[in-house]
Amino acid sequence: MNRKVLLVGLILVAPLLAVLASGLRHDPREVVSPLIGRPAPGFSLADLDGRTLRLEDLQGQPAVVNFWATWCQPCAAENPIFSAVARRYAGRARFVSVIYQDSPEAIRAYEQQRGRWGSTLVDPESRTAIRYGVYGVPETFLIDARGLVREKVTGMVSFDGLSRSLEEMLVASAIEDKL
Amino acid sequence: MSLPRFTAFLLPLLFAATCGADPATAQASAASQSDPAPLGPPLSGAALDRATEEVASQMRCPVCQGLSVADSPASSAVDLKAEVRRQVALGYTKEQVIASFERSYGEFIRLEPKAEGFNWLVWLAPIAALVAGALVIFFRLRPLRTGRSPATAGNAGGTPITRSTREDSRPS
Repeated sequence: MNRKVLLVGLILVAPLLAVLASGLRHDPREVVSPLIGRPAPGFSLADLDGRTLRLEDLQGQPAVVNFWATWCQPCAAENPIFSAVARRYAGRARFVSVIYQDSPEAIRAYEQQRGRWGSTLVDPESRTAIRYGVYGVPETFLIDARGLVREKVTGMVSFDGLSRSLEEMLVASAIEDKL
Repeated sequence: MSLPRFTAFLLPLLFAATCGADPATAQASAASQSDPAPLGPPLSGAALDRATEEVASQMRCPVCQGLSVADSPASSAVDLKAEVRRQVALGYTKEQVIASFERSYGEFIRLEPKAEGFNWLVWLAPIAALVAGALVIFFRLRPLRTGRSPATAGNAGGTPITRSTREDSRPS
């Protein structure tokens, strides 16, 4: 093959291959949420007892908003983690779970067996899940005391990871209060 | 360059061009969280059905592989389509609706990336590669059409170089 053609071909293709190679380092299905650092999307949802909870009701304390369903096995696996973290941060953070494509009846039966660790909200037609850009469950959003989304966890949370994020938000909130 | 060799050169270029701009890594444009006013008229009936299909066909189903929201039977896509329909019925335009989903899902929600910034590569590289390929083929084939082989195309006098003429030109 003509060496010039080969050289020009390599020069043209090399940068594109470099872009492709850089893409191999991350999971193509893992999408960074555009909500990070922005105000959390508002909602006004009823819980299983008919009481309405709005986003504004959560402000003033860090909040954990978890989207889940009874048919989701990782959700069942992280349920005890949320229970433990909610006990640890009781009075210092708010914990909310939003039902994703599931029936209130199934949730009630589930919670009778396994208990409840926060407000359980019903999300008709997944409209709140759509506003949060939920792809599937479980997904968890961490919202700081000012109402800004600080983190999104796709898949199961861990006790240490969730505790660390809450500590960071609590420290940041305490510093802001002093300023 | 022969056609198979040219194709071998072009294919990686096309592949790299179409795959290089991963929309999943693209950052969503800045947008406020508040809902703007609808810019179009409220729709209903057949017009609403058509507009919903049009918008949903340009949105990526978040849990599928390469399917649009309009084509996917997944329950999450059904919910997304219902939300599209609700917004279109209120009079939100196609761009307004897609932009509202982009605020929560990022540019990933667009089945076709926007023609801006790095994404231009996806749109222009295949065209540029085809034009470049056509030029290469044109300039390679032109000497053959005029009765000269590419090897003799550089012979300004037009006299075919034969074994005898080469031997004649040797210094004695």
